[in-house]
Amino acid sequence: MAYRIMIVDDSPSMRAFVRRVIALSGFEVEVCLNAGNGVEGLALLENQAVDIILTDINMPEMNGEEFLRRLEEHERFRAIPVVVISTDATENRMHRMLELGAQGYVAKPFSPEALRGELERVLGEPNA
Amino acid sequence: MHNMETEQWLSSAAADVLETTFFSPVMEEAPVSGMPCEGALAARLQFSGARSGAFTVRVTEGAARVIAASFLAEETDEPAPEQVQEVICELSNMMCGAVLSRLDRGAHFDLSTPVLVDPLEVATAQATSRAFDIGDGEVAVYLHLDD
Repeated sequence: MAYRIMIVDDSPSMRAFVRRVIALSGFEVEVCLNAGNGVEGLALLENQAVDIILTDINMPEMNGEEFLRRLEEHERFRAIPVVVISTDATENRMHRMLELGAQGYVAKPFSPEALRGELERVLGEPNA
Repeated sequence: MHNMETEQWLSSAAADVLETTFFSPVMEEAPVSGMPCEGALAARLQFSGARSGAFTVRVTEGAARVIAASFLAEETDEPAPEQVQEVICELSNMMCGAVLSRLDRGAHFDLSTPVLVDPLEVATAQATSRAFDIGDGEVAVYLHLDD
């Protein structure tokens, strides 16, 4: 299966790194949408369907928490699995993001294997 | 605060970030010494929460290029200067988060967006600092905690 993914992070280099890890993990990527914050992410989702969203928390204009809230409020968007990637490794933050609807959480710094493991947990094994 | 425990957390967290996500194993670690070489880059961010202060990373030109190339997987082409700067900002962001989460496990912090600063104006006497030789140059980190 080829996946349509969206990466939401204000750091272009982080988006490039995540994109590379996904590709190296064996997940076939049909489309990769890039957004610099939650506002841009929501705008892209209005016209494009995705299979999974990977989002940072600390971003300008609309952070990851608000982005997750908006996704949950939306009838179509709430079904999209979300994996949070953040420097905040605290249990409180992780629980809050999971309560808001995230299905996965990866704390930075992370190895490519850690992200791959979380993707497999959420999406299943690549090409399974 | 400027004690051995802080220095140990700074040291382990910074080395972990370099090795795990930026694929730049630390060859040697030492106290920061000397002035930065020409072409060095520095990025700083502020943090607040359970503690407040600033975190700064200063990287020599060669180390910055290698770190950016490793992170972006640019094996044949040199990363553009803007890409190198952006990766060093991300490095500072990730290192700061890793250090703070080890210093105060479970505490919440807000991190500002990293910005580039003058590498000549990085060192402060109040900061806890360490330097890491990654083979192609040096990465120096400075943690300043407000009183």
